[in-house]
Amino acid sequence: MYALEVKNLCKSFGKLKAVDNASFNVPEGSVFGLIGRNGAGKTTTIRMMMNIYMPDSGEVILRGSTVGQEFKNSVGYLPEERGLYKKMRVLETLLYFAELKGKAGKNLTKKAKEYLERFDLTDRINSKVEELSKGNQQKIQFIATILHDPEFVILDEPFSGLDPINTNLLREIILEKKNEGKIIIFSTHLMDFAEKMCDHIAMIDHGKIILNGSLSQLKSKYAQRNISLNYEGDISFLNNHQMVEKISDFGNTTGIKVKLPEHTQQLLKLLIDNNVTVKKFDANDISLQEIFVQLAGKEEDVMEVPYV
Amino acid sequence: MFNHRVLAVLKRELREKLMSKSFILMTILIPVFMFGIIGVQTLVMSYEGDSNTKVEVITESAQLTQKCQLYFDDLDFVKDGTYKITYNTVAASDIRNYIDNKKQDLMGDKLTGIIFIPEKALENKKLEYYSNTPSNRTIPQKIDGPVNKVLLDEYFSNKNLSEDELQFARMGIDFSSFKVSEKNEIEEQGFGNTILAYLFSFMLYISLLFSGQMTMQSVQEEKNSKIVEVLLSSVSSKELMTGKIFGSTITSTFQMAIWLLPVLAIISTTWFVLPPEFVVDITVGHLIYFLINFFLAVIIFHGLFATVGAIFENSQEAQSGMWPVMLLIMIPFFISFSILRNPNNPMAVVSSYLPFATLMVMPGRYTVVDLPLWQLFVSGLVNVATIAAIFPLAGKIYRVGILRTGKKPSWSEVIKWMKYKY
Repeated sequence: MYALEVKNLCKSFGKLKAVDNASFNVPEGSVFGLIGRNGAGKTTTIRMMMNIYMPDSGEVILRGSTVGQEFKNSVGYLPEERGLYKKMRVLETLLYFAELKGKAGKNLTKKAKEYLERFDLTDRINSKVEELSKGNQQKIQFIATILHDPEFVILDEPFSGLDPINTNLLREIILEKKNEGKIIIFSTHLMDFAEKMCDHIAMIDHGKIILNGSLSQLKSKYAQRNISLNYEGDISFLNNHQMVEKISDFGNTTGIKVKLPEHTQQLLKLLIDNNVTVKKFDANDISLQEIFVQLAGKEEDVMEVPYV
Repeated sequence: MFNHRVLAVLKRELREKLMSKSFILMTILIPVFMFGIIGVQTLVMSYEGDSNTKVEVITESAQLTQKCQLYFDDLDFVKDGTYKITYNTVAASDIRNYIDNKKQDLMGDKLTGIIFIPEKALENKKLEYYSNTPSNRTIPQKIDGPVNKVLLDEYFSNKNLSEDELQFARMGIDFSSFKVSEKNEIEEQGFGNTILAYLFSFMLYISLLFSGQMTMQSVQEEKNSKIVEVLLSSVSSKELMTGKIFGSTITSTFQMAIWLLPVLAIISTTWFVLPPEFVVDITVGHLIYFLINFFLAVIIFHGLFATVGAIFENSQEAQSGMWPVMLLIMIPFFISFSILRNPNNPMAVVSSYLPFATLMVMPGRYTVVDLPLWQLFVSGLVNVATIAAIFPLAGKIYRVGILRTGKKPSWSEVIKWMKYKY
């Protein structure tokens, strides 16, 4: 059962085709990652999903009917570029964003205060937002995203610009929401992070969806003949070796693709025979990054090393 | 149109604006500033800088000199010491020599000027004025009336006229203005309404410019700080714009109502006793009309200012981009001044029905002319039609602009936005 179905979305800005016939499905209870490099069309897709932009064509279906205000009310959205009213006070800000979602009342105020306490902000409850540090402003923004208890949490590049403390805090929130059975959708260009958090993904490149589905299924499909290796020593003898099709260095790990499935065992033996210390040898494993490089070609900015 | 989201936006606008220091300051300072300007202007106009003026009046006969002295000593500006007048009798043939002798006095500040009334003046009223600054007309203008009366007296004194006839000849022309209107009685009218019309035009102009720019800045703040994307995940851009504009419209109208309170007090109470020439002749209904018109004006212009705010990324670009909106306020403002001279000049009449212009021109015109109701009604219809015509377009530009970043868009790009499907 799908919670959201994205069907044939297209969006152009003048001559630029930002999103080109994008289709994918977000299953109930999933953590869904929309993955692609900067400028691939992630934000535009997310904006269309939330009806901030109208698609040129295509539609987004929420459990059987086209998305509209009802969806907006059940979404907590954290955009990539975050902002708050500087002159507004902390509690006032939180209550205002919830009021826009149609939530108000004593319970909500109580909940807001609980969150502030949990995030160590109780003493700033009546401060103006501009008096807070940047990190604390980000915390306020997180609370504003989830205070109205949304069924969908949509995060656009959620970890960009966060300090390590807030990165952990946000990860905590995501996991908590996942355990509550909420649906979490986020976009990111950080493959490692997506790989750790998501169970379903869609990869977007130049506005086109190049891959989508459950992460484990995708991995097993792309992982045949792939070995993910951590080692110490010299493996240059593998270059141009008859059973190796390709070697890719990803920094922490090295991806090796052999020509035939039975070569996997032979490779391990070869490494040991050549005095290479094998720290991790993961047969039939492939990183999301490798899949992406296979599909989209050049690596460029997908190589960025994440905080997490 | 007014669901809970629009109301939430509207409430926030009201809270933010009504409680702000700048609103309270504006509400108090603008009237002070306005009356200050009027006061300074009146002061500058009335101050002719002619205190401590020393004039010598010379005639050719001792009799005329005496008559002048007798007459001039009674004048206000002589009595209060502003003018010190000395008198002398010199024949026309000697006047040049006399002036030569007085040259030193005229160049210094012992003597401001010499007025010579030759014998011939009794036939042609031609006088001579000697000064080192003869282009300064203040002294001749002040003196010519009294001299004329002296000459008249002298001229008619041997013509055997009665005092009454003489009195008549001395009188100048005095117009009394009467306002003819649909009302039954014909009333004598002073400057009160003209001043009020000035005031109305000024208040419209200043309020629209100031509050319009504030709305623009507030849209810019949302755009620049990226709050708008969070807002748009909850409300549609239409709801956001509606809430914002109604919020600022209510604030501005409330402020205007406060500014109108003194006028209301003048026309409906007896607390203020105005001199008859300044009595204002308008009704409470008139003030209500003014407020309704203002309400519509704020909706229209704040809509435009908000749109400009959404188009540009930083406030400098926005400042330079708002000139078309400024012109829509300023040109009608200047037209509204021509009305005060002649309320029936064709430009005034036509512009009081044109979109945008009618908002500025009609209130002033209505203050000085008694307009039939249908004219106000037509003006109102034009305003409502203007709102209906511009808001779908403004809304589209707002929607595209508010999320757009990057280089400053050209006007032709902005026009293209209207065709975008957003």
